[in-house]
Amino acid sequence: MQGAIPALPGIGLRFPHHRAVIAQRPRVAWFEVHSENYVGGGAAIRDLETIRRDYPVSLHGVGLSLGGADGLDAAHLGRIVRLAERIEPGLVSEHLSWSISEGHYLGDLLPLPLTEEALDVVCNNVDHFQEAMRCRILLENPSNYLQYRYSTVPESEFLSTVAQRTGCGILCDVNNIFVNAANHGWDAQAYLDALPPDDVKELHLAGHAVKSLSNGAVILIDDHGSQVDAAVWNLLGKAVQRFGPLPTLIEWDTNIPPLQALLEQANRAAVILAQPHRALAHADIA
Amino acid sequence: MPTLRDIQRDVARSLLMPGDGAALAHIADDVIDTAERFDIYRNNVAITLIGALRLAYPAVDKLVGSDFFDGAARAFVARYPPRSACLDDYGDEFPDFLAAFPAAAALAYLADVARLEWTVNMALHAPDTPALRPDALTDLAAGEHGRVRFVPHPSVRLLPVRHPADAIWRAVLDGDAAALGSIAMTIEPSWLIVQRQASGIVVARLDEDEATWSNLLFSGAALGEIMPDEESARFVALLADHLAGGRFAGFDVVSGDGV
Repeated sequence: MQGAIPALPGIGLRFPHHRAVIAQRPRVAWFEVHSENYVGGGAAIRDLETIRRDYPVSLHGVGLSLGGADGLDAAHLGRIVRLAERIEPGLVSEHLSWSISEGHYLGDLLPLPLTEEALDVVCNNVDHFQEAMRCRILLENPSNYLQYRYSTVPESEFLSTVAQRTGCGILCDVNNIFVNAANHGWDAQAYLDALPPDDVKELHLAGHAVKSLSNGAVILIDDHGSQVDAAVWNLLGKAVQRFGPLPTLIEWDTNIPPLQALLEQANRAAVILAQPHRALAHADIA
Repeated sequence: MPTLRDIQRDVARSLLMPGDGAALAHIADDVIDTAERFDIYRNNVAITLIGALRLAYPAVDKLVGSDFFDGAARAFVARYPPRSACLDDYGDEFPDFLAAFPAAAALAYLADVARLEWTVNMALHAPDTPALRPDALTDLAAGEHGRVRFVPHPSVRLLPVRHPADAIWRAVLDGDAAALGSIAMTIEPSWLIVQRQASGIVVARLDEDEATWSNLLFSGAALGEIMPDEESARFVALLADHLAGGRFAGFDVVSGDGV
């Protein structure tokens, strides 16, 4: 099985669907997994190796803490390198966030202050990660519920600069842009327009929740616990207009429904990926 | 402006320590209260880390109930945050923490059940090392057998317990109230052997001799040092059982002067 991830919808593979995927071999172009769930031995990695024989797989990390001021955890990096040797992933990605401080792992993708210092830290860590993996990695824009007093660099510019300095690609999570735009008053279209089209190599989609706060304000929570919101499908169309069709992932991590529900979301994404778009128009002219 | 390291240290402490608000000073003001913003992260961290403990300790969760489990886990997370981003490895201190947790003092067997669950968790996620073939020793010369030292399979673990933790664990996970009610809650030191096989986790009991011999075998002592003068037939039967059960990953033969 060749391992390249095609410019088609894929599905985030979670434990409750392992048996169904192995038994049914559903019509979906590729799967993405959270790397940290497969670094041990036993049933999980055995299932993934079985599935990998029939599908390309993307490794999506949630624990490397690329924004960590203390650098990368060598033991954890080693686990990810060995997993990649075993799975031969078509793509490898991580987040613009941090999750480790003073040797303690906090179990969440935490926001970074968007400063020149943080930019240097992230670039160093991405360099280290890419050297260890011997491949180009993709860096994903996060969803955040707070901003720091010290931030001076717009997030889209921060991501673009990391890509420019390290040669990494960008994983554009369309739902996260929508969530952050709502939570921080950003312009989602301007965010898309600020990303360098040649560096964006994958898109993510997921559902979010709306949480009411004590003063009547609302905040969007990126809980990956429902269908993709109508406004996010609309934003996907704009992303495809700008970046062309790309590998596009459906993520669902809480209140996980039967596999069929994810396949339906993937089919809906396929329709949008197939629409006429600017990048193709340029190619036609050339 | 504080350094990134300082900001991350403050945020980490405020996430883990109830009542610590150092992180709030770093958050930009707007229409939403900074504490309310930060609580979203506190809640996410608690859900993830308590959830990881619940996955590793399902029988403890059922024995104490989910509210009690949440409270104990929350106190544990503040004191022993994870040291690895691999959450399958999180919670090795939880059994000892429960043993010293005043609110659980009435459940004397709880810590032993937790120790068994941690041992099972370690076996579940142990590396996929191939097992030594049961006939691997047949090619050795007659004089070499006494100098054989085994390497245990990484999914095999021995566990000493004082309570009938295996019977409680099984009854709780099976939801078998009748079986649970019929367990004699006596204190009697015994040994369990835990292993991941192709079919799943196997938990078995060893008698005192078997436990002593197995401990020596799994810690790399040479066969000639372990082989008892009496009961040698029982020892050989145990060794054959370990070989047939795939409980070794390899062996070497110590040089003649070594023993």
